[in-house]
Amino acid sequence: MNVIYPLAVPKGRRLCCEVCEAPAKRVCTACTVTYYCGVVHQRADWGSIHEKICQLLIPLRTSMPFYNSEEERQHGLQQLQQRQKHLIEFCYTVAQKYLFEGKHEEAVPAALHSLRFRMNVYGLSSVELVPAYLLLSEASLGLGRIVQAEEYLSQAQWTVLKSTECCYATHSLLHRNLGLLYMAKENYEEARYHLANDIYFASSAFGTEDIRTSGGYFHLANVFHNLNKVDLADTLYTKVTEIWYKYLNNHYQVLSHSRLQQIDLLGKKFENNTGLDEAHEAEAIRILTSTLSIRESTSDRDPEKTVFVLKTLVLLYYLMMNYSKAQEYAMEAFILAKEKLSVHEQSTIQELLNLISAEESHPE
Amino acid sequence: MYYIWYCTLNISVILVAFYMFGSFSTQCSALLFLSISFRTQLIKEKDDIDYYLEVNFKGLSKEEVAAYRNSYKKNICVDMLREGYHKSFTELFALMERWDVLREAAKVRSIFWLQKPLEEQPEKLDHFYHYLTRAENAERKEYFEDVYNNLYALACYFNTPEDKWVRNHFYERCFKIAQLIKIDGGKKEAEAHAHMGLLYEEDGQLSEAAEHYEAFHQLTQGRIWKDETGRFLNLLACESLLRTYRLLSDKMLENKEYKQAIRILIKASEIAKEGSDKKMEGEASYYLGLAYLAAGEYETALTVLNTYGKISTDLDDDLSLGRAYEATAKVLQSQGEMKEAIKYLKKVLKIARNNFQNLDIVRASTMLGDIYNEKGYYSKASEYFQQAFDTTRELMNMPLMNETKVHYGIAKAHQLMLTINNCIETADITSLDHLLSWKESRSDIAPDLIIGILNNQQYVLNSCKECEISSFLSVQCHTLLTRASVDRC
Repeated sequence: MNVIYPLAVPKGRRLCCEVCEAPAKRVCTACTVTYYCGVVHQRADWGSIHEKICQLLIPLRTSMPFYNSEEERQHGLQQLQQRQKHLIEFCYTVAQKYLFEGKHEEAVPAALHSLRFRMNVYGLSSVELVPAYLLLSEASLGLGRIVQAEEYLSQAQWTVLKSTECCYATHSLLHRNLGLLYMAKENYEEARYHLANDIYFASSAFGTEDIRTSGGYFHLANVFHNLNKVDLADTLYTKVTEIWYKYLNNHYQVLSHSRLQQIDLLGKKFENNTGLDEAHEAEAIRILTSTLSIRESTSDRDPEKTVFVLKTLVLLYYLMMNYSKAQEYAMEAFILAKEKLSVHEQSTIQELLNLISAEESHPE
Repeated sequence: MYYIWYCTLNISVILVAFYMFGSFSTQCSALLFLSISFRTQLIKEKDDIDYYLEVNFKGLSKEEVAAYRNSYKKNICVDMLREGYHKSFTELFALMERWDVLREAAKVRSIFWLQKPLEEQPEKLDHFYHYLTRAENAERKEYFEDVYNNLYALACYFNTPEDKWVRNHFYERCFKIAQLIKIDGGKKEAEAHAHMGLLYEEDGQLSEAAEHYEAFHQLTQGRIWKDETGRFLNLLACESLLRTYRLLSDKMLENKEYKQAIRILIKASEIAKEGSDKKMEGEASYYLGLAYLAAGEYETALTVLNTYGKISTDLDDDLSLGRAYEATAKVLQSQGEMKEAIKYLKKVLKIARNNFQNLDIVRASTMLGDIYNEKGYYSKASEYFQQAFDTTRELMNMPLMNETKVHYGIAKAHQLMLTINNCIETADITSLDHLLSWKESRSDIAPDLIIGILNNQQYVLNSCKECEISSFLSVQCHTLLTRASVDRC
């Protein structure tokens, strides 16, 4: 039933593949409004995003129902717009999450969807397209398609350059991706320039100590690591870890405080959460684990720093309610601290361990 | 463009060669081969072309474009980050944000609104860049002394009234760094304590300032360190500590916490003794004496002031000797030993005259006049008050002149009152004549307010010629006088 009969398709509908825009041969039977050139692309789309938005696409791609009055028509149009905006955000977050998890192949269809909806809503030359371009470029980079990534980035850069009002956050993202591109091309001079710009814009938008700025520091640290400037990279990695630790610890304190205050009122326990969306959580995990692996390679010299990264990871997994992982990292930290660090450090880690085991023994 | 043109030329030359020597089919395949190889070569050498263009065609480089398009502040920040100086960047960024906040606040109050934003002051930004990055570099290598020097240089650079908070920020940073420097035996730490003390002193937090100065003093004790101008640090510490102690004790005396004030001043004088600077020691005992006086412990005050007097004589310092005598006289006056007090005050007057210290002359003569006035020697009192008045007239100091004028008037009135009372009490024709003649010839008396009122009263008195009423009026005269003296106070 997946095969299309072009004559049976409603008039005016474009019969091209959702992924590559080639002439379509198949249709999704669930929504009947999405077409593909072949099984491969259909599978890819289904695995990436289509499964999640299949039914949401129907009202967008069928013709509008007949409305009796101008007022209703306006209302219908507005709702359509609203839906598209919602889809933009949704696809964007999904794609971002895939990227942070390292699943670049899956990210592409989702990012493409986000881009296409953005074009529909905002037009072709709007700044709103930039985030989607950036996602696509990042995915292409991850897949090793540097030329394609450069193309997307040039598109994004040109859009930003033309527009007069473009927020700092977008600037920062653009420069981060440009930095990543040049890192992939091993042009570290340019990469450093763009990453520096990224940090500057992110700081202007969120402040120097924000978790959203930490990405820039992390990539800059990687550049210096690749350039073999170990001490420079070291201070930058420390900075990144500090930013995350501060944020997580703060969040944990706030949570435990409110838990103490309101436990009687509601009579139930508060659930842990990180206060972040999925994409940020994935970013945190990626940044911290790669920092950890770098730290572990030089662990003999300063175990404190390794333990610090481990502690941050423990906090993160604890707040994400992934207690087994938290336990694992905490044990690792504990063993390291026992070998090489002071009693005070050991006791703080012991506290963390107790906290985790308490949570594990009282599941909801 | 050149390059491509050059390539095409090459191809055409080769083609011509083929055309002349080869068959048509070989020519075709050669063309195909050539064009393919040319294209791949072109793509491969795109970077080379970029490089060639960059070297041979003097356009704007990416950096130059960025420098032109972006603000100087951004360029500085980006430069810092590129080289990995992220701590400097964070610090500079935080400072700039604070700068903006201060500016906003100033805009509301419209004070120092004239100050330009930091972005428009490139030389300041350059200084930040230069010193902050060097400090961070040194910090990475753990050369804390270099860090300190660089931060201190920045603090010195911002030592202007409107940028004081920047200086204070760097003083605090210096202080933190200085605690890590161990090699120099604590000289840097001592200096940092001194700066922190100054910072708190300017801010009015005297007890914190005293703490830092104490640490400064302790660290410099027994050392022969000197500052840039060649002064001994220990001496500097003593001076600042004494100054702070004095300000602290002043505040305590205002709140009538005499015991605490005296304890602090005793500490101060001990430190001054250790500092082996006689002048400072004298100062310390002077303020201690004043504190004792305020607390009402006259005997102790006298002994302390005596030491001050001795020290001043040793140093041949007339001015401080005068101050010592003056304070002693005050103590004696409070004790009620007027004769002694008068003796000391006369000494003060002599010293002040010798040194042309007009204000001291005024003070001393006023005090003398007061004492005589109380004792009832009105003519002497008015004599001294007149001296004070004349001196203030020379000084052109209006408020002081007005005050001495009133004193003088009161003394004069007191002097007159005696004779007039006598005249009124006797109540015969001669005394009436006396009064009348005085009334006519009083032009020689200074036209003073109080005397004017007195004259009016006398005038009423004369016209009445009634004894009972006159006695009542004389009482009224006296009340007027006392009220006048109350007003003066």
